[in-house]
Amino acid sequence: MTENNFSLKKIEISVSEAEKRTGRNAMNMQETYTAYLIETRSVENIDGQSVLTDSLWRRYSEFELLRNYLLVYYPHIVVPPLPEKRAEFVWHKLSADNMDPDFVERRRIGLENFLLRVSSHPILCRDKIFYLFLTQEGNWKETVNETGFQLKADSRLKALNATFRVKNPDKRFTDLKHYSDELQSIISHLLRVRARVADRLYGVYKVHGNYGRVFSEWSAIEKEMGDGLQSAGHHMDVYASSIDDILEDEEHYADQLKEYLFYTEALRAVCRKHELMQYDLEMAAQDLASKKQQCEELATGTVRTFSLKGMTTKLFGQETPEQREARIKVLEEQISEGEQYLKSKNLEGREFLKNAWADIERFKEQKNHDLKEALISYAVMQISMCKKGIQVWTNAKECFSKM
Amino acid sequence: MSGGPPKALQSTGPHSLRDMPHPLAGSSSEEAVGGDSTPSPDLLMTRSFGDKDLILPNGGTPADTSSPASSSSLLNRLQLDDDIDGETRDLFVTVDDPKKHVCTMETYITYRITTKSTRVEFDLPEYSVRRRYQDFDWLRNKLEESQPTHLIPPLPEKFVVKGVVDRFSEEFVETRRKALDKFLKRITDHPVLSFNEHLSVFLTAKDLNVYKKQGMALLTRVGESVKHVTGGYKLRSRPLEFAAIGEYLDTFALKLGTIDRIAQRIIKEEIEYLVELREYGPVYSTWSALEGELTEPLEGVSACIGNCSTALEELTDDMTEDFLPVLREYILYSDSMKSVLKKRDQVQAEYEAKLEAVALRKEDRPKVPADVEKCQDRMECFNADLKADMERWQNNKRQDFRQLLMGMADKNIQYYEKCLMAWESIIPLLQEKPDAKKKSQCLDEPSR
Repeated sequence: MTENNFSLKKIEISVSEAEKRTGRNAMNMQETYTAYLIETRSVENIDGQSVLTDSLWRRYSEFELLRNYLLVYYPHIVVPPLPEKRAEFVWHKLSADNMDPDFVERRRIGLENFLLRVSSHPILCRDKIFYLFLTQEGNWKETVNETGFQLKADSRLKALNATFRVKNPDKRFTDLKHYSDELQSIISHLLRVRARVADRLYGVYKVHGNYGRVFSEWSAIEKEMGDGLQSAGHHMDVYASSIDDILEDEEHYADQLKEYLFYTEALRAVCRKHELMQYDLEMAAQDLASKKQQCEELATGTVRTFSLKGMTTKLFGQETPEQREARIKVLEEQISEGEQYLKSKNLEGREFLKNAWADIERFKEQKNHDLKEALISYAVMQISMCKKGIQVWTNAKECFSKM
Repeated sequence: MSGGPPKALQSTGPHSLRDMPHPLAGSSSEEAVGGDSTPSPDLLMTRSFGDKDLILPNGGTPADTSSPASSSSLLNRLQLDDDIDGETRDLFVTVDDPKKHVCTMETYITYRITTKSTRVEFDLPEYSVRRRYQDFDWLRNKLEESQPTHLIPPLPEKFVVKGVVDRFSEEFVETRRKALDKFLKRITDHPVLSFNEHLSVFLTAKDLNVYKKQGMALLTRVGESVKHVTGGYKLRSRPLEFAAIGEYLDTFALKLGTIDRIAQRIIKEEIEYLVELREYGPVYSTWSALEGELTEPLEGVSACIGNCSTALEELTDDMTEDFLPVLREYILYSDSMKSVLKKRDQVQAEYEAKLEAVALRKEDRPKVPADVEKCQDRMECFNADLKADMERWQNNKRQDFRQLLMGMADKNIQYYEKCLMAWESIIPLLQEKPDAKKKSQCLDEPSR
């Protein structure tokens, strides 16, 4: 699936619309879901104009399918995450409802971001299934399932077992796993507190709206003070309503943090793959060593280690030299196979390490760049909020001065 | 609010004096005023009116012309309007320097009252005494008794729930000091109250307790008579202007109450916001310890949020200490004003009742008995004093609220300016490109 010269570098992808649909699900029950329009444009070299080449509708579950496929076929790649399935880290005003238009809008942006990440990845962008995702509306699901990727996926249990039992994982990956865990914990904490901060800030701004009303009422009984009070009250109303836009902008920052929160899972997936491979390697090496041992014992007749054969020999009598020869031959074959296996596993392991680490370095640079940009845009948002605050209060002050 | 630190005592205010010809032209005052020595007929008239209400301790007349200081003080008295700029004022009072006194029976705070005046009633040009809240309370009661036709400014609240507020904390004492200072300044600004005997004693006596015990009850003629007004008369009809004042005060107090609640709510929300911010900032710091290239940017954001938190704390402190107390003072003020209005109603009611009684006794119709005339006199005085005080009060109220609300706006502007500065200053830090050395370091994550 990766041998495809198709490069998406000169392609523009956008998730331009979201639409509510009803349909029947697998159990023939009616359901409501949102479909997203994906438009692909190719950019003409000469004049930079883009031409619409493909346009199709996909729902969230299809994105999930694509991603799961990529995870299986590219275990050495830090696969970009999808936007959250359900709204989390919400502050009270935001809806946690998946059908809420604001949530749908933010998800649309998140899905677009996902596609852009994949298409700008040097390896992932060449994948055929990804290409088909963008171009083949019908039958795509069947095509993906035909790859049989679900079968190729490592079982969770196997992976967990490996994580506990592996003896010599690469230190870099151990460190990376710790880093991922810490980063996940910190960003979760940060998002939770940020949501509370947003809640409180909302409260502060909105209460000021009450000044608008009372100043207006008060101005009715005043002569000289009346106008000043009334117009100041208007500015208090402006102040109170300004918080809605401010906090909406901040959600974009939260989404950027969330992307990297979900990225930690992708990092951990790569680490897990390494642990699994390393464990398999260690098991293969161990198996080989024990077979060699057995062989040696049979050949020299010494029993150094416990073996079932040794036990049965004691119980039922020695075996014949022919039987012994036969067994030695089998073992020697197995050892030879084992050595080949170990060699290829070793090679596989080293390849994996090399490729995975290269992608991880790429990821780190991307992360540092993106998070810095996110912090800058956050600071810019704060600056804008401060300037608005100064403006409103300066206006109010001028009104008060005319009292 | 009347002008801050006491000014120099020579001929006050260049502007208004220069404009007015000096009625008692002397050689020294000529320099101060500008040389024209023809007395203005207006000044002479107002001078006689002023006499009626003034009682001077040394029994002298206002026209002591021996020194330029006293001539200008005469002029001040003759000017009935409050000079807001304080340029023709001759009495300056400041409350400062709170000190804690620990005695066996109790612990309390005293404040230093500094008085500077060129008035003849004061033997010395300057006085410095120490007073405690009790003394202020005594003064206010005496003023209410002796000048019942006038609006007496309020004192800060007397009772403090122990355990809830620490009445010896710096913030509480400072808030109270400001309120007491305001109280005295309002009184010394008042053309009638500032000449009250009790005030003079309050400002000058070494030991106020001795004076209190003597129970000197020097009441004005009006005060004395109003004191004996009996209640129980029903008012026929309130003159429109006083009815209007009553309605105004009702709505005014209501609106102030609402504003007080809103302000308190805002402070409460801001404090809760502050609590969250104080948790928010440090998370960036923890994160920065985990990173390599992002260490400084994240640390910078953490510090920035810390600065904003501090600025917010300053805002809430300021609002609590400077904004809320003034609001509450005005609510107290309007309450005490309402009781003066009630008293006025009683005086009018008594007069109306007596007048009606006379009308019924047909024999006395041509001649109006003396006591009914006294009642009428009393009522008209009250009405005039109250009207004048209301006007003054409205003007001062406008000034005070203008200043209060501008102050509130200012504090918010300052808060946002501090935050703006913090965020603007980290932008260059965030945009900084790591140099080559740093870059090679951060390719490996810091080891755990």
